[in-house]
Order: sequence, then C-alpha cells, then structure tokens
Amino acid sequence: MSRIYGVNLISRMSGAITDTIVSAIPKTTISGNKTQKRIDWIGEKFSSPENRLILGVSALMTQPFIDAQNKKVDEETRKVSVARTVAKIIAGTLTGYYVRAGCIKLIDEMTKLPSEVKNPNSFGGKLRMLFTPDDAKTGALKSLKKYKNALGTTISLVVMLFTNFLIDAPLTKYLTNLFTDKFIKPKDQKGGTVNE
Amino acid sequence: MSSASLFDAFKNYMAKNYGKSHGKMLIHTGVIGWILSAAAQVMAIVTNDKISYKQKMYLIPQELADAAVNIVSFYLITQTFKSVSTKAVNCGKLLNKPVREFLEKNNIKNVGKKTFDVLRDGKLPADLTEKFESFRNGVDFIGTTAGSILSCNIVTPIIRNEIATHKQKNHIAKMEEYNISVANPARNYFEKPSIQSFQAKAYSSSLKI
Repeated sequence: MSRIYGVNLISRMSGAITDTIVSAIPKTTISGNKTQKRIDWIGEKFSSPENRLILGVSALMTQPFIDAQNKKVDEETRKVSVARTVAKIIAGTLTGYYVRAGCIKLIDEMTKLPSEVKNPNSFGGKLRMLFTPDDAKTGALKSLKKYKNALGTTISLVVMLFTNFLIDAPLTKYLTNLFTDKFIKPKDQKGGTVNE
Repeated sequence: MSSASLFDAFKNYMAKNYGKSHGKMLIHTGVIGWILSAAAQVMAIVTNDKISYKQKMYLIPQELADAAVNIVSFYLITQTFKSVSTKAVNCGKLLNKPVREFLEKNNIKNVGKKTFDVLRDGKLPADLTEKFESFRNGVDFIGTTAGSILSCNIVTPIIRNEIATHKQKNHIAKMEEYNISVANPARNYFEKPSIQSFQAKAYSSSLKI
C-alpha cells in the first residue's frame, strides 16, 4: 500500500514539475532547415543502442572524475574505484550496445510484413513473420520500426540476463585488474592485493 | 490460454505500448538493466581476489547504491526530462516550422496551452502528421538522453559515492570495535580469581584472614 502511495507521489510530483516547466517555456519554433533535419534524423535512426552508446561515452567523461574527487575515502580505494568505474563503463557500454543492436537486427529479420516474404506459408516465411503483430498486418500500426526497436530492446534484456554475468562482470573484473596493475599499483606491490 | 495466443498477446501489448514512444521504452528497459547489471557487478567485486577487503567495503555499497539511486533519479530526472520534452511538443510550445505555420495559417486557437494537443486539436493533414511525429520522436530521444546523462552520469555518481563512503566508515568503525573487543575481552561478572590476584588480595592490608 505504502509502495503504491510512494509511486503515486513520485508520479504526481513529476507531473506537477512537468506542468510548471512546460508553462514556463516560451513558444519556440525550430525554423532552421538543418536543425529540423537533424532532429527528424535522430528520431528516425536512433534507438536504445545509440542511447546506450551516448550514455557510455558521456559516462567516461564524468564518472571517473567524480570518483577521483571523493576525498572522503583513502587514496588507494579512490584509485581502485576509478579503475573499476572506467572498466565497468567500457564493458557495460560495449556489451550493452552490441547486445541491443544484435537483438534489434534479429527482430527486424523476423518481423516482416506478408508482402515482404516470398512464401508466407512456408516454414521460413512463417519464421520471418514470427514477431509481426496483427496491427501491422492489417495496416493499423504505422510505426513498425519503433515496435521492432522496442521488442528488440526487450529481448535484449533477456539476453543481458546472461551476458551481464557471462561477459560484463568478468570483463569488468579483468579490466579493473588490468588498470589497477598498470596504472595504480606501485611496481613492488604487483601480485598482491592493494592496501591489504 | 494457449502459448500461441499468449505470444500474440505479448506482441500486441508491445505494439500498443511502445510502438509509438521511444522514451517510455528507454526508461522501462533502463531500470531493469540497472538491476541486472548491479547484481552481476556485485558478484564480480566479491569474487575479485585482487581487491582488498577494505576496498570491497567501499565498492559493494557503491555498486548497490548506484543501482538504487539510478532507479530513483531515473524516474525523477529522466522521466521529467522525457515528459517535459514530449508535453512541450504535444501542446505546441515547441514545434517545427511547417506545423507552426499550418496552425497559425488555419487560426487554430489555444496552441501552447496545457490542455492543447497538436494531433487531436490541430487537424493536421497526413504529411504534416508524419513530419510532426518524427520531430516529436527526435525531441523525445534528445530529452530522454539528456535526462539520462544528468541522472546516471552526474547525480547518481555523486550520491552513490556519499552513501558508499558512509557505509565503508560504518563498517570500519564496527571492525575496529570488534578488534578491540577481541584483543581486550570484557571481564566476566563472576570472574574466577587467578592465583596471583588471590594472593595479592590475601596479603594486602585490606583483607585479613
């Protein structure tokens, strides 16, 4: 009950903030042809893999510096924390991007309209229409590309259930140790643990 | 319900809920992604022999706080950014030139008001509806991504580090307290006297037998 109340409260707060900000925004028209085209292009081409890539690149530009500025912990811990943050961003961004992009590509191949398939009744034909929703077949769903992106991203979550443990975490561990050995540990400490 | 109809229901649910909105899907999948990632990362820290215990006491709470703060800030900040960008376009505060010109030319009233909806009240022709939707998607993506950068890459690291520092200090204080108690165990209430303490008491001036 209290959890539902909490979610409602956050939702209402967010709604009130949104209304206040929107009413404060002056009427704006994007008139530049180039800017308009760029915004349209982003809306058309970009989806969750690109979002993950942008987040990863911007994370590399901010998070290690925020960790390095945390003077409340000792220097060794701070340095290991920076190494782990960089390792985690690299591993997470690479796997996140490729898993999402791969799943969206796979869904794209298996969400064809009947008109795009040579033999719709054959096994191969049925496989290529496996994820095609009824609305798309009847023409009611205009934005099939967004549906494919959303479904591909959802499927990628299931895949990431495994890759998080099989690729992300071991790669983060490997890179953390690599960065720690190369850039943090003094030469005489190599082989042991830091600050043991 | 058969598995085939369940599968159809799933496909139609996805098409209905996410078929038109990029931002909504990015938020929902992002939240689940953080939880899965945090679980894997905690496992990686725990099993990393090259990280000392003291550093693990900082890194594990840091990772857990990262996931928790990310989810809250994602809903508060990213959702707000997404809602503001979508609402600003939907009510006509932020528009591209062809749509604005059409609305002004046709003397459509209340453009930019909270209750106005460009698609519902603007009576746009099909080609402009398409242009409006791709513009809205672009703004939606930019808003959601900007909100994500602010919440995940700036707000979350600052807060998670504060939480992790606090947790590490608490752990260290508890460990030191434990070490002191092991080194100097508290005396039992009915402590058995040693022979030395008995002799010292017996031959002191205060105890006469």
